[in-house]
Amino acid sequence: MTNYDITIHTRDRQRVSFVCSEAEDLLSAADRESILLPSQCRKGTCGACVATVTAGSYRLGEVSMEALPENAQARGDVLLCRTYPRADLILEAPYDYDYIRFERIPEREAEVIEVTMVAIGTRRLLLRLQPDAQGGAAEFEAGQFMEIQVPGSGARRAYSLANNTNWNGDLEFFITLRPGGAFSTYLESALVGDRLNIRGPLGTFTLRENGLRPRWFVGGGTGLVPLLSMLRRMADWGEMLPARLYFGARYEDELFCQEEIRQIQDKLPQLQVKVCLSRPGNEWAGYRGSIMDALRDDLGSLAVSPDLYVCGSTRLVQGVTELALSQGLPDSSLRFERFLSA
Amino acid sequence: MFCYQCEQTTRTPAGIGCTSAPGTCGKDEATAGLQDILTHLIKGIAQYARRARAMGIVDRHTDDFIFYGLFTTLTNVNFTATRFVHLIQEATKRRERIKLLYEEAAREQGKTPEILSGPAAFQPADGLEQLLRQAPGVAINAGAEHLGSDVIGARALILYGMKGVAAYAQHARVLGYQSDEVDAQAEEILDYLASNPTDIDAMLEESLEVGRLNLKVMELLDAANTGSFGAQEITSVRISPIKGKAILVSGHDLHDLKQILEQTKDQGINVYTHGEMLPANAYPTLKAYPHLAGNLGGAWQDQQREFADFPGPIVMTSNCIIEPGKSYKNRIFTLGPVGWPGVRHIDNGDFTLVIQAAKALPGFATDAEDQRITIGFGHHTLLGVADKIVDAVKSGDIRHFFLVGGCDGVSPARNYFTEVADNAPADSVVMTLGCGKYRFNKHEFGDIGGIPRLLDIGQCNDAHSAIRVASALAEAFNCGVNDLPLSIMLSWFEQKATAIHLSLLALGIKGIKLGPTLPAYLTPTLVQKLQSRFDLDLDLIGEAQADLQAALTHTA
Repeated sequence: MTNYDITIHTRDRQRVSFVCSEAEDLLSAADRESILLPSQCRKGTCGACVATVTAGSYRLGEVSMEALPENAQARGDVLLCRTYPRADLILEAPYDYDYIRFERIPEREAEVIEVTMVAIGTRRLLLRLQPDAQGGAAEFEAGQFMEIQVPGSGARRAYSLANNTNWNGDLEFFITLRPGGAFSTYLESALVGDRLNIRGPLGTFTLRENGLRPRWFVGGGTGLVPLLSMLRRMADWGEMLPARLYFGARYEDELFCQEEIRQIQDKLPQLQVKVCLSRPGNEWAGYRGSIMDALRDDLGSLAVSPDLYVCGSTRLVQGVTELALSQGLPDSSLRFERFLSA
Repeated sequence: MFCYQCEQTTRTPAGIGCTSAPGTCGKDEATAGLQDILTHLIKGIAQYARRARAMGIVDRHTDDFIFYGLFTTLTNVNFTATRFVHLIQEATKRRERIKLLYEEAAREQGKTPEILSGPAAFQPADGLEQLLRQAPGVAINAGAEHLGSDVIGARALILYGMKGVAAYAQHARVLGYQSDEVDAQAEEILDYLASNPTDIDAMLEESLEVGRLNLKVMELLDAANTGSFGAQEITSVRISPIKGKAILVSGHDLHDLKQILEQTKDQGINVYTHGEMLPANAYPTLKAYPHLAGNLGGAWQDQQREFADFPGPIVMTSNCIIEPGKSYKNRIFTLGPVGWPGVRHIDNGDFTLVIQAAKALPGFATDAEDQRITIGFGHHTLLGVADKIVDAVKSGDIRHFFLVGGCDGVSPARNYFTEVADNAPADSVVMTLGCGKYRFNKHEFGDIGGIPRLLDIGQCNDAHSAIRVASALAEAFNCGVNDLPLSIMLSWFEQKATAIHLSLLALGIKGIKLGPTLPAYLTPTLVQKLQSRFDLDLDLIGEAQADLQAALTHTA
């Protein structure tokens, strides 16, 4: 069997190298050398392990077209979990070196503190980490997610955190219930005091810390959740960059966290919020139309181009990306996370 | 960007200075440019403040800002570009305010206010991109193509020295120690810089004026520290952890440490010092707190490893911060002038979050073996046993004194300082200060008739103590400091060391060995002029053994 040298250059111009055989996917080969590259589903579905091949040939296994559309494949984008080398490869990763872990991702136990319905089809789940040898703090970056093990099953589901790194050990989630979904089914009967196994933090959808451009956050449905975390982070840290939030849904009763957003605005007075409803009732006094409509209006009249943080469906992410690029925003100003069904 | 203010600036055959982002320190282009604009505006503030002072208008808040603002631009202090955008706005407001005060006072006294140009008239742009376009025009190397590197280098020597002065002045001010004489002189020097001087000899003379100003400021800071916390005492400091929750405090600001100690009292949390905070353990008021548990770690350049291993929150009170590792970025906090993008900044003196973090994080699981070093040899301590030291010299028990210290850094050439300290003969005493001491302060040096052979004088600003001690010895022996059996090996990294070096030069102290390199801004012409016109020694360190031998031969 032939082995190939794989080199991945990270966004901050560092690199990591490992060896991969032609029969092995890149993600597993890196794992074998204790190099834990950002990833999630490991089955070509979620798109979390995307990278771009800049040199060398490879075979791409079966992938979700949502996670890796044809035009992305055409420019050399791959999912590491579905990429098998046919030569030495050089790749570019869309994250900094710091996001690569060289140790096991922590697994911990957390207690259910609260489960409440906050909107049609959306539950708020508050967990608290059980103190262990590493203490009781919940340390993560705004925008990251945790994997929660479905009780009674080995399956894990990934959910973004809505709160901020904190010393109480609190992990706050807002979860869309999916009919028949494994974790959704659990949530229907979840009880305060339940113990859940969690793994993380994971994910590279985080704030550009040294960015100087205004930050625009664009979230559809529970795509709001990691953006809430980022906004809370800005508020708690007293960050002074101009910021806007575009939160989209169809109907009023799908909206959630409106009070939380107001609380953020109290601490972050420069934050402008546009709640966009595509099918509002007559009483709705906010923006009537989709997020895309709102963005199209606002991006057209800009003096300073913003950094865009987008979270939601593939359709939303693709739409915002195309719109932003067509308005002349650089590719580097976009950070996004797609919600895909597990 | 262009920056060559620190020792680790890029030096290649193609040129000198960090010209592309990030700089060696990690500073990005925007931060570098915004720091240049802030520095320029501060010169403009000084232009008006000096003239206002001449009219009898003294506004201490203006000088507070001058020192604080300059401090933020020191190496490894603040990397947060957004913070500089706001500091630039504040600087502009402060300049306009002192301008107004000056003009009103002038008119009240029947005089026509001067119309000032240069930094006094500089208008920072509104937008960030426009601001950054302005930056090259106000950077230290602006006009280098027609002024030449000697003029730029001489200006840099003055400016960087003033940055060091500002850092020390700021530390004194937070303790309530301020001097109108210092403020006035700082304004004068910055006003001089604002005039874009080109006379190299005059600039070198002015740089020595910076050194003289720094002596006053170090004296003020010494008064502030001893006035607030008592005089350093000989102290055995634990350098290994104790079981329990823990906070690590790094940087130089004793006032911040005092606040942390006060707020963590009776909370079951041990507070450890790190880096330049080590001497805090020798001040009576601070060491009276039973939970000041000792010092962990060493010099600043090792912080990424040491902070990652520390099982509690870390507080960075002043320089030197370097890019926080992901593993501790959530649990490091910055204070005062310090900043790093994404790191939580505390600006209200409330350490509740730090305490919460300490309680949530694991702390040390066990007691480590008790290890200790001895510190606390400030000038009060040493002058208290001066007669014993003089006797030891007269009897021949002490043949030579070495002052080996300053800032540490990563350059392998800094091993020189370790070699000098370790190989100094048994009948010599090594005095040390700054974080350069960590290279050898855990080594065994023994003593000479009860006088420890390694005397830790304190922080880098305690160079003032070293000067006091040297002056007292010279007096006892009825000779000049240069006639003493004393050799100075000074390690430099950033601008406080520049200020100290200028102070030593201003005092006429000769034979100082500076390393690991000479500052990049000191061109061969400037070095030659300092040596010939001002009769100063400006020597680069050589081989440790050879320098030791030469020093001891000189003694003989």
